Amino acid sequence: MSEPTTGRTEPGASAEPDVPEVSGTTGRTEAGASAEPDFLKVSGLHAGYGRARVLQGLDFSVARGEVCAILGPNGAGKTTTLRALSGMAGGRGSVTLDGTELLGRSPEQAARLGVAHVPEGRGTFNDLTVEENLRIGAHLRTARRWRGRAERAAVTADLERIYGHFPRLRQRSRQAAGSLSGGEQQMLAIGRALIRRPALLLLDEPSLGLAPLVTRELFEIVRAVNEEERTTVVVVEQNARLALDIAHRAHVLEAGRLVLSGPAARIREDGHIAEVYLGVPAHARKAG
Amino acid sequence: MSAVTDLLQQVVEGLGSGAVYASLALALVLIHRFTGIVNFAQGELAMLSTYVAWQLVASGMPFWLALPVTLAVSFAGGMLVERIVIRPVQGAPELTVVIVTVGLFIFVNALAGLIWSFTVKDFPRQFPDGGLDLAGVRVDWSTLGILGVVAVVMGLLYLLFQHTSSGLVMRAVACNPSSARLSGIRVGRVLMLGWGLAATVGAVSGVLVAPVLFLEPNMMGGVLIYAFAAATLGGFDSPVGAVVGGLIVGVAETLTGAYVDVIGADLKVGVPLMIILAVLLVRPQGLFGRAAVVRA
Amino acid sequence: MSTIAVTLGTDRARRLRAALTVLLAAAVAVGAPFYFAPFQVFQLTMVLLYAVALAGLNLLVGFGGQISLGHGAFFAAGAYTSAVMLDRYDTGHLATLPVAAAGCFLLGLALGVPALRLRGLYLALVTLSLAVFLPPLLKRLEPVTGGSMGLIVDKPQPPAWSGLAEDQWTYFVVLAVTAVALLLARNLLRSRVGRALRAVRDDESAAEVMGVRLSLHKTLAFAWSAMFAGVAGCLYTWVIGFVSPDSFSFVLSVTLLAGLVVGGLASLYGPLLGAAFVTYVPSVSQDLSEAAPGVVFGLLIIAVMFVAPTGLAGLPGRVPVAVARRLSDVAARRPSGVSAVLHRTPPAASAPGPESPSRPGTRASEPLTPADPETVGAPPRTEKE
Repeated sequence: MSEPTTGRTEPGASAEPDVPEVSGTTGRTEAGASAEPDFLKVSGLHAGYGRARVLQGLDFSVARGEVCAILGPNGAGKTTTLRALSGMAGGRGSVTLDGTELLGRSPEQAARLGVAHVPEGRGTFNDLTVEENLRIGAHLRTARRWRGRAERAAVTADLERIYGHFPRLRQRSRQAAGSLSGGEQQMLAIGRALIRRPALLLLDEPSLGLAPLVTRELFEIVRAVNEEERTTVVVVEQNARLALDIAHRAHVLEAGRLVLSGPAARIREDGHIAEVYLGVPAHARKAG
Repeated sequence: MSAVTDLLQQVVEGLGSGAVYASLALALVLIHRFTGIVNFAQGELAMLSTYVAWQLVASGMPFWLALPVTLAVSFAGGMLVERIVIRPVQGAPELTVVIVTVGLFIFVNALAGLIWSFTVKDFPRQFPDGGLDLAGVRVDWSTLGILGVVAVVMGLLYLLFQHTSSGLVMRAVACNPSSARLSGIRVGRVLMLGWGLAATVGAVSGVLVAPVLFLEPNMMGGVLIYAFAAATLGGFDSPVGAVVGGLIVGVAETLTGAYVDVIGADLKVGVPLMIILAVLLVRPQGLFGRAAVVRA
Repeated sequence: MSTIAVTLGTDRARRLRAALTVLLAAAVAVGAPFYFAPFQVFQLTMVLLYAVALAGLNLLVGFGGQISLGHGAFFAAGAYTSAVMLDRYDTGHLATLPVAAAGCFLLGLALGVPALRLRGLYLALVTLSLAVFLPPLLKRLEPVTGGSMGLIVDKPQPPAWSGLAEDQWTYFVVLAVTAVALLLARNLLRSRVGRALRAVRDDESAAEVMGVRLSLHKTLAFAWSAMFAGVAGCLYTWVIGFVSPDSFSFVLSVTLLAGLVVGGLASLYGPLLGAAFVTYVPSVSQDLSEAAPGVVFGLLIIAVMFVAPTGLAGLPGRVPVAVARRLSDVAARRPSGVSAVLHRTPPAASAPGPESPSRPGTRASEPLTPADPETVGAPPRTEKE
């Protein structure tokens, strides 16, 4: 229990993600090169709804370009953490993104500061077509300036980029989003978030209600996007094994507190941790 | 005049009044799409707009100049109403919001009486007298004009919603406001736009109906009931439904008034009640509505 | 005085206070007609009969969470039932009361079935159309209703033994009926029906899951409230001795709703305050202008919904609660509509995000969170007993 620290993470810990080379698919070292270990810095975050305090003082940092997984049982406060980052839940403490305070912002302000939150349940605009959903994602890009030809070309290029990541969405571009399958809707939600090249991508339970194969495909895309576009990602996930596969670091939440933080690979490989904190049976953890 | 031409004559007249109901119903549906509430003050706001037009014309402005000015004033007024009256109760239970719109209804009605008194005013006719004679059926220019205006309004709304990025943003907000927020859309501003738009569309209905009904503060009360029936019939979430519903209600009203002796001209106002009850019993979501949306 | 102050707050003291209040109110109510001039007695009588209608409307709006914009129609139905019975059949006043009550109950039941299958919005539409439709219908049924001219009927005459003037006798008759009606309303709310109603209002789907038959209870609430309006209408005929279609225009329905909202939704004595409001405000403000009552009503309705959704009756209980909440709340996301029909978003200023999400319920927090916003963050209940 010495390496994955319990309780608060020392600020230094995230500076050197210290990801051991693990065989196979998870050679995730590039984030370690980041010069900005505190790109997203959460300190002393208390948050909740009304008088209900869900988060009891959270401290962690995410380096630029890193994928960070937040794990933990139901009701631990994972979703609330994301909601506090995107302005959907109030709180006190401090959350800075590239030095800018996020707490106390409305969701639209947070979005304008580069936070892209894909909520649990995806938040698809069901009445709109797939392409219109994506254009809404590009809204921020086009809303700022007078839309000239160059701007429209840029949006088209962005659409192409997203279709490149999610070829299935291209096939369905004229279809109403409400008619998509769950997996496609999740892809659309992520695509809608990515089209604006967010500084920080927040994913809430992307695997919820999806078939295992679809989930795996989705996580591979997230990993690819992270590698290609250097998007910083915070992902909340019930399926700990999946999340640990694509994450550089992971934090385990319990009853509103961090109980465990460390490099994702370490947590994944430690059978004891996996079983005690994440409910992953020992025999399952090598399977991926 | 044969029975058939007589019937057709009634249908044409029904379409004329139906177009007015359609435009007010359109305003109701717009607000309902955006906020999920029914704005009971919609008719009164339209009445207020009509008074603005009347005042402009009375002070010497030509009608076709007064109209765009009125529409602009209505747009601004609708946005103000959203910001001042509706925003504070946004997110409150439906009952609270409905009561607020009823309060607005009473207030605007009385305000118009306070400013312009309750005496009936003659509103200038926008369309020339006379009309076409189509195989014995007389179609007034005013009927054609009203239908034309409503068609143009429909067309403009269609263009706005389907072919502009502002329209896309508005549809997104109507569809999923919290997601829109997460996409960086300033939902409050979009809602203001929606109310402004609805007030403008409503103003069109007021200006169209004023020469027929004569202008007075209670002018739109009856029209509102018909518009409610139209929106219920078409489905409260469907702009197309509002227009189709409006036309059907207009025709049904004229036909029952003309052919059902028990009802006659004086009891025509019972027609919307019957239509609403019938729709609720047979097809509660309306002709173009979606069942899932209607059940709260 | 000091002894009362010492024991204040204990159960016995509360009961004592309640008993004293009732006694005092009864003494004032009985003494009033001997003290005031006939016109003032007439106004008090009107307050009482409006209170009956408002108590009924309160069952529906305040406790049932449904809205009726056409209670004037039931009021009219009750009034005309009584007037027609008196005019054509000479039945005597008392006999008209149960008929008016039963008739309006059935009418409410018949309209409630289609109107309440869906969300409450449609009840508002149906009742609104009904209120607009009724006056022309009454005019049309001229052989029975007297058409636009209306009907003039006898007022109840004081028996010789009482030694009372006509206005005093009418006052006492109305007072008796009002007292019974208000007691009935109170008991209805304390019965199973009342509990079911409140459950439905606070959370429809939860109530349904718990086995409350939604549409049945909503329809019953509507029928009861229609019955109260009918009784009030019947009393109106007794007091005024004249009915005409134009007395029962849509304005009456709106006035009733305004009175209820201003007096206090979901409060037991709100209807009395509201009745006083709708009786006196027009008579005072009408001197200014024909439009003045409307301006006052409209503004007050909006203002009440903004600052004090519990109306006049709720103010004493509300201020301390609001202060306490201000003090204890740091971050507030508006709790969803679970327990309060009448509560609006807590002041947005108290939330760190100036525009905290205003459509709650789209995403609840994680289900097992002990501090689940759906239940813990709910604002205090609003009904007063």
